[in-house]
Amino acid sequence: MDLTTILFLVLAFLIITFSAAVVILPNPIYAALSLAVTMISLGFMYFLLQAYFIAGVQLIVYAGAVMVLFVMVLMLFDLRKEIAAFSGSKFSSLLKILCGLFFTGAIIIAIRQGVIALSVSAGEPTPAEQIEMVKNLALRLFTQYVLAFEALGVLLLVVAVGVVAVARSRGGTHAHHN
Amino acid sequence: MMPLFAALALLIFVAIFGSALLIVAKLLSSRAKPSKVKSESYECGLPEQTTGNTKTPIKFYLTAILFILFDIEIIFMYPWAVSFREFAARGAGLYIFGVMGVFLFVFIFGLFWEVKSRALDWE
Amino acid sequence: MGQDAFEITINTAKMLVIFLLMVQLVPVLVWIERRGSAFIQSRLGPNRVGPLGLTQLLADAVKFLQKEEFLPEHGQGLIFYAAPVMALIPAALAFASIPLSAPIHINPFLWNGHKFGPYDFEFQSFHFGVGIVYVLGVSSLGAYSLLMAGWGSSNKFSLMGALRASAQTISYELALGLSLVGAIMVFGTFDFSQMIQFQSQPLTSLLGVHMSIPAMNWGIFYQPLGALLYFASTFAETNRLPFDLPEAEGELVAGYHTEYGGLKMLMFYIGEYGHMMVGSALMVTFYFGGYLIPGLTVAQVHSHLATWLHLGANPAAIVTALALHVVFFIKVFFFLWVFVWVRWTLPRFRYDQLMDLGWKTMLPWALANVLLTAGWMLFKGMH
Repeated sequence: MDLTTILFLVLAFLIITFSAAVVILPNPIYAALSLAVTMISLGFMYFLLQAYFIAGVQLIVYAGAVMVLFVMVLMLFDLRKEIAAFSGSKFSSLLKILCGLFFTGAIIIAIRQGVIALSVSAGEPTPAEQIEMVKNLALRLFTQYVLAFEALGVLLLVVAVGVVAVARSRGGTHAHHN
Repeated sequence: MMPLFAALALLIFVAIFGSALLIVAKLLSSRAKPSKVKSESYECGLPEQTTGNTKTPIKFYLTAILFILFDIEIIFMYPWAVSFREFAARGAGLYIFGVMGVFLFVFIFGLFWEVKSRALDWE
Repeated sequence: MGQDAFEITINTAKMLVIFLLMVQLVPVLVWIERRGSAFIQSRLGPNRVGPLGLTQLLADAVKFLQKEEFLPEHGQGLIFYAAPVMALIPAALAFASIPLSAPIHINPFLWNGHKFGPYDFEFQSFHFGVGIVYVLGVSSLGAYSLLMAGWGSSNKFSLMGALRASAQTISYELALGLSLVGAIMVFGTFDFSQMIQFQSQPLTSLLGVHMSIPAMNWGIFYQPLGALLYFASTFAETNRLPFDLPEAEGELVAGYHTEYGGLKMLMFYIGEYGHMMVGSALMVTFYFGGYLIPGLTVAQVHSHLATWLHLGANPAAIVTALALHVVFFIKVFFFLWVFVWVRWTLPRFRYDQLMDLGWKTMLPWALANVLLTAGWMLFKGMH
């Protein structure tokens, strides 16, 4: 077994264990922290797949921003009732099992129908080559997919407006006093 | 694979190192004499009033979600910044500047709107 | 496998040495902080234990070890104990990927009848081409330690401190990330080694004056505003004064580590000082030429040392690497001293002022810096 295989097995074990923990753990905070570990492991998995920039983005955006938001929001609220509602009830267990089955089916279909077109090169790219890979990505992003890129900017703006609108509606701490 | 191996090994090593420190501290610490008062939440020495969970302003949530949005916009500027020289060298400097100019215009408009709508104010 | 096993050994050794170096620098930093604070406030500071009070921290560590170890009544055991461990991880992972000295090339040599080499040896635990993206990624994990500490202690002060700390950390992460974009545009790379290579070129003109100083093409001459914004947001990232709102003792006792004592507290300190070290090391790498000596290229340092000390090429390469380590750490310690200096110079901000500064002042200025840099590079035809 070479080093790549060992690293893959370690990371795959971490990802599967902690994503299972997200579903199984009744306490939402522990579940969110497990999801954070899953995201970090996924980030390292991208390094293994030689997608270096995406790996960094995974760490910055998913592990460092999205999951921090989740954990922060869960800690903000007193969740005792929700914990009670989501642990041990037959309905939620059924829901969990159904969701699990659905996604397993989706993954099996994806693997069967998908064509594995990408193979990771055997030798590891040198740091200079890694930068070239990012530059290739930039070339594609800013020429071929430039419209999608600009549309994404507008989409993010719309989301920001929506967030602010939701946060100040119905007399929250941020509502207008009039 | 070597950098990744080193990074993961360091991650695991630091985790073990930290846990070992905690265990050493537990073993070497003076014998615990538990008492009701000692294990209460510290609230400046007064008898404990709350149990930790309190209502908190929604501002923290708003800040965190706006942070995600801006973070995504900034991460898109990284590949742009790293290839800016190459584009300029191939004579497409103004084009790449314009691409990011439009993107940044939306970004700045968003920031301006949020400042105007007082979403970023902490009274 | 033979090559692999050799590489694994070297990488493991480097990883251990650099991590332990970081941990060992923390007592020195605490000493600098305490003696420096005393110096600024015209008092003596710790001066009883050992020469100049240098072994004070050793005595403190022994005291920390003897402290009683207990979990607060409502504390969440697992998260409460995991938080200090988590505090160590981001700084350690980030610091390990920063080059501390020039890479050395060892020519083939004979030793004990066997032929060894040639070896190329880099002074960093691992070398990712996407260096800065990786460092920002692992640094952003720092918020978990704060949130876990705050929630795990089940204390009102801790939770409020953790929320403040994480909101502040993420807000300033934007300004920090954006202030580096300008520097990345100038260097055209994410890789720290290539950045230092760029900065090792001679400086040809400054403010219209033509000159030629070798190894002085530093980022600060291209990105003065970016450097200022970066360094200011580092203060907020590390929760240092004037941005130490999470630990504002007048309001929140000690913030997220109110319930922590003894060695657990020390681990939070190692994390915080580690963050300061990473921030200073990045400042040096991006804007102040890394391990470069102004006026002397690495090759010149190598040849001068070989002549003065009458060494062969290989020993001289090792001595050069050691000398450049010293240069790097002198620069890093200068910026760490600035952290202490600022602590006793500026008063603490109010929380709304802090958030205003981050979102409404530093973020727009960082954006302006990006646009100015882009316009200036196009105008000057830099490519």
